[in-house]
Amino acid sequence: MKKLSVLLIVMCLVSSIFAGGSSETPVAPADAAAKAPIDLKVWVGELYVDATAKMIESFKAQYPEETFNITIGIESESTCKDTILTDPEAAADVFTFADDQLLDLVNAGAIQEVLVNADGVKSANGEGAVAAATVNGKLYAYPMSASNGYFLYYDARFFSEDDVKSFNTMVEKAASAGKKVGMQFGVDGGWYLYGFFKGAGLEMVINEDGTSNSCNWNSARGVEVAQGILDLVASGAFVADSTSNLVSAAADGNVVALVDGTWDSNPIMDAFKEGYACAKLPTFKVAGEDVQTASFAGYKLIGVNPHSKNVGWAMRLADWLTNEENQVLRFQTNGDGPSNVNAAADDAVRTNPAIAALATQSQYATVQRVAGGYWTPAATLGTILSQGNPEKTDLLKLLDTAVAGITAPSL
Amino acid sequence: MAESLGTRVKKAVAPIGGFFTSFALAVKKGDIFVKLSLLIMGLGHIVRKRVVSGIALFLTEIGFFLFLGKFALKYLGKLPTLGTVQAELYFDPILFTNVWNDYDHSFKILLYGIISVVIILLFIYIWITSVKLAYKLQVDKEKGEEIPTFRRSIRDALDTKYYRTLLFLPILGIVVFTVIPLIVMIAVAFTNYDQQHMPPTALFTWVGFSNFKQIFTTSITSTFGYTFGKILAWTLTWAVLATFTNYIGGILLALLINNRYTRAKKFWRTCFVVAMAVPQFVTLLLVRNFFADQGIVNTICSNLGITSLLKSIGLVPEYLNYIPFLTHKVWAKVMIIVINIWVGVPYLLLIATGVLMNIPQDLYEAATIDGANNVQKFKAITMPYMLFVTGPYLINSVVQNINNFNVIYLLTQDVYETTDQLMAISHGRETDLLVTWLFRLTNEYYNYKMASVIGILVFVVCTVITLVAFNVFLKKNKEGEMQ
Amino acid sequence: MRTYIKIKGERFYPLRHLFLLLLAFFWLIPIFWLILNSFSASNAMSISRFFPKEYSLIQYKNLLLNTDAANQFPRWMLNTTVIAIFNCIISSLFVLMTAYSISRMRFSGRKLFMNLSMILGLFPGFLSMIAIYFILKTFNMTNSHIGMIMVYSGSSALGYLIAKGFFDTVPQSMSEAAMIDGANQNTIFWRIILPTSKPIIVYTVISAFLAPWMDFILAKIMLNSGIASDWTVALGLYGMLDRSRKSLYFGQFCAGGVLVSIPISILFVIMQKFYVEGITSGSTKG
Repeated sequence: MKKLSVLLIVMCLVSSIFAGGSSETPVAPADAAAKAPIDLKVWVGELYVDATAKMIESFKAQYPEETFNITIGIESESTCKDTILTDPEAAADVFTFADDQLLDLVNAGAIQEVLVNADGVKSANGEGAVAAATVNGKLYAYPMSASNGYFLYYDARFFSEDDVKSFNTMVEKAASAGKKVGMQFGVDGGWYLYGFFKGAGLEMVINEDGTSNSCNWNSARGVEVAQGILDLVASGAFVADSTSNLVSAAADGNVVALVDGTWDSNPIMDAFKEGYACAKLPTFKVAGEDVQTASFAGYKLIGVNPHSKNVGWAMRLADWLTNEENQVLRFQTNGDGPSNVNAAADDAVRTNPAIAALATQSQYATVQRVAGGYWTPAATLGTILSQGNPEKTDLLKLLDTAVAGITAPSL
Repeated sequence: MAESLGTRVKKAVAPIGGFFTSFALAVKKGDIFVKLSLLIMGLGHIVRKRVVSGIALFLTEIGFFLFLGKFALKYLGKLPTLGTVQAELYFDPILFTNVWNDYDHSFKILLYGIISVVIILLFIYIWITSVKLAYKLQVDKEKGEEIPTFRRSIRDALDTKYYRTLLFLPILGIVVFTVIPLIVMIAVAFTNYDQQHMPPTALFTWVGFSNFKQIFTTSITSTFGYTFGKILAWTLTWAVLATFTNYIGGILLALLINNRYTRAKKFWRTCFVVAMAVPQFVTLLLVRNFFADQGIVNTICSNLGITSLLKSIGLVPEYLNYIPFLTHKVWAKVMIIVINIWVGVPYLLLIATGVLMNIPQDLYEAATIDGANNVQKFKAITMPYMLFVTGPYLINSVVQNINNFNVIYLLTQDVYETTDQLMAISHGRETDLLVTWLFRLTNEYYNYKMASVIGILVFVVCTVITLVAFNVFLKKNKEGEMQ
Repeated sequence: MRTYIKIKGERFYPLRHLFLLLLAFFWLIPIFWLILNSFSASNAMSISRFFPKEYSLIQYKNLLLNTDAANQFPRWMLNTTVIAIFNCIISSLFVLMTAYSISRMRFSGRKLFMNLSMILGLFPGFLSMIAIYFILKTFNMTNSHIGMIMVYSGSSALGYLIAKGFFDTVPQSMSEAAMIDGANQNTIFWRIILPTSKPIIVYTVISAFLAPWMDFILAKIMLNSGIASDWTVALGLYGMLDRSRKSLYFGQFCAGGVLVSIPISILFVIMQKFYVEGITSGSTKG
């Protein structure tokens, strides 16, 4: 009995080791894959949930023979990248994001190259939108809207159309009335600050390595631009608070003009009431001459997760969500300016003041291709300037340090 | 206290040595079954009629080898390189989805590799112990002593060995949710895991001590050394200030409320305790909007003329027409401390109330007879007593404040922007603590390698503080008590 | 100089009470502002007026009845309650079991455990969050209640010190007497020690119950599906002040803050005296 149990144990042990060593048997591919329901998760900003739900219904109607299981999660377009990069495998199959995040997503391999209807997308959308969705010649996303850039909102009861041609005029007028003009070039303000330097002919672009920038702001011209900003700030009427605070201040009547995007158009409309008006960005004085303020063009894009179980269907859905019909729908529900050429040609779209202002600004706007190292040093530079350079640092030195940070390889 | 470090270490290590020598003894002196137990765990037990334990041990062994073969070896083998196969994919138009190669995921290799190492060590411990037990059973039998039965071991598990029963799950929890994650993240400090090397599509690998070198160096493009120094200084200042302002504030408030001439004590206490009941993230997010540059407090201050008053005495910079409560480097730091008093004093009020009630009244009566006034009584009786009772708590609070994430993160995130350009390059801010810096480095910049280095340094700082404080401060205190 | 007046023969110090009143004012004003805003008719925060322009219950109504993609408040309350209850059971058991073993029993490895648990406490917890995330993901437990319960209660035993301090004060003679009567450690723990330790049990249970209501950062990392009905109260309310949502949800955030605070306040009032007892007994013995 004893011996028998010993033998038994030895056999068990040996077989377990062998079992451990053997590799797993491959799982047979499911033959009836077509009939399984297609699971897809879509991330959109909370304001787009209702519209997206409608679009998904019409998408399902396109393919009656398939069963879909599509869920909508909310993830703000402005922070989408942060959530995805933490764990790309857990991200949604289809997600919306602002075009400034594209590069990081591509570098992290967290976005699928567009393979469904790529040529259709390229021909249907505006050049800028296609360029914004393209990295190294490959199209990585479906353009969803072309109105993610910034322009000027102003209270027409306070400023005339002539006033808003120049920041200097506006600031002067606001200062004498105890009011303020706002632009978020301080806290998190690198996106807005860029416009001043670019407008004056200076460059800040990503290098070919994809991880660092080159920048020539630390030049005599750059010093003049910085001085131009300081001149605007000096009156105390040009403030650099965050847009959400500026909108609140506009509602209370303290701020009479602000640089912002279409996403805030509803609260601003409430704030300025019948005075609500939009225009391209004003000029500002650099070394005595007026310079048109430039900007980053902004697009919202829809991307597909390469880790998705149903990449093909995810691309079909993304394509559907960004087609002409649905861009029009999004304009109607959210006021987004379409990137689709036909949809943008619509009269209702063209006469919308915010989108018209953006269209005018677009000739001074550049597609954003920036390495991650830009943002923090730029925001700091903007903050220092917005506070009037309190430590009276030599401007060239200030710019030198900022440029050193901007051009350093992103961490 | 008098023993030297050497003897202390020796004392600590001695049991470990004993563990192995007794194992060697068991193997040497054990009979064939004990020796066979080396290969077939539980054999020694079964032979000595401890069938249930024996089978359990044997099943453990089978389970372990299954784990080893099916899971551990796969990852252990890759641990030295953290993977070599880059992820690749192609789109399969028939499957209508992506097909990935069998790529290496560096973080999973690290994580599962470390889990495997922990389990292997655990198994070796069980293995050694089981052999020793088998030998003990043999000896007991030879001596003719009664072999403890399975029922007996159950009884032990509920009585003399009850601690094992009680501690099993809690320790398992600690190992899985604290120890293993910590080991993994400490290991990350020796890799190049950052945004350029992020799984699943990129691999990261071991880089030795280069991250530690980076945190202590400053060049024009890498300012970690500079930023680390500044943030460490503020972290320590904050920890000390935050702890002591709360502590003193809590005691003074407790004395004030519990004074025998104060009316409606319960009412006052409730007023302050109510502030504790609202979750911190709610109050702090609220307070941050309360004190925003274009916020309600600023509007009120401006209407009351406080803003221009502060401007005229130079407390608010000339170029601003608001008070930069949370956006100016000095104002923000002061406000953070003040708001922390607001958050923390109610807790201290409760604790101090409890402790103060325990101070023997005769001490005060004796002091009154000796003609001491209130200040003298406070200095000679109240404070020493408080310090004695709450000393460990106080040291603990300093450590907790070094790691106090909520207050600073919730008050400054999206609000404060640094004006120090060198700090900006390494994504630090003047108001950051080491932990908030660490958090933002991981959460916004995916710089896990530097975050891990910072985490380890936080540990070092906390350890030094705890050791110094316990040895110097508490020892002195105890001696004081004896006089 | 006399700083008091006499009222009904008792000394009364007006200055002192005035000072307390002033302090109480400062402590309560943000809470007051929270409550005011929760009754405001406007969704956005006003920066020019302290009192709302118009009072209304609309924020509460929207919060509780008009749920949408970013507001699932009733669901969040349910989620958090479930997580809190389970966390409370598991954590309390872990803490009390560990504290009892360390306090009342002597065994090899006891000192080692105490030292190691102290060392583990010195590491910043955030460091390991990403690793915990991947451990849970391995078992497919991110975005699940079970996962959250495990995250909150897993390492709870490390917080055993306060309970241990309390058990240290329970006289040894009680367990000795029981042992003479033939009770084993198991019986002593459940029948003798626990029933006499009401203060520390209440303290442990309530603090474990409260943890999921306060934490947003672990929840943010573990619950990353973007689907609001998965969230906890803290995560949901935190999201309402996200930059893109603030102007729409500020009022609801305040209403939610008030609603969450009510149960917590009640628990706090209950816990108040046990809290002091727990902390002081725990810290003196350390």
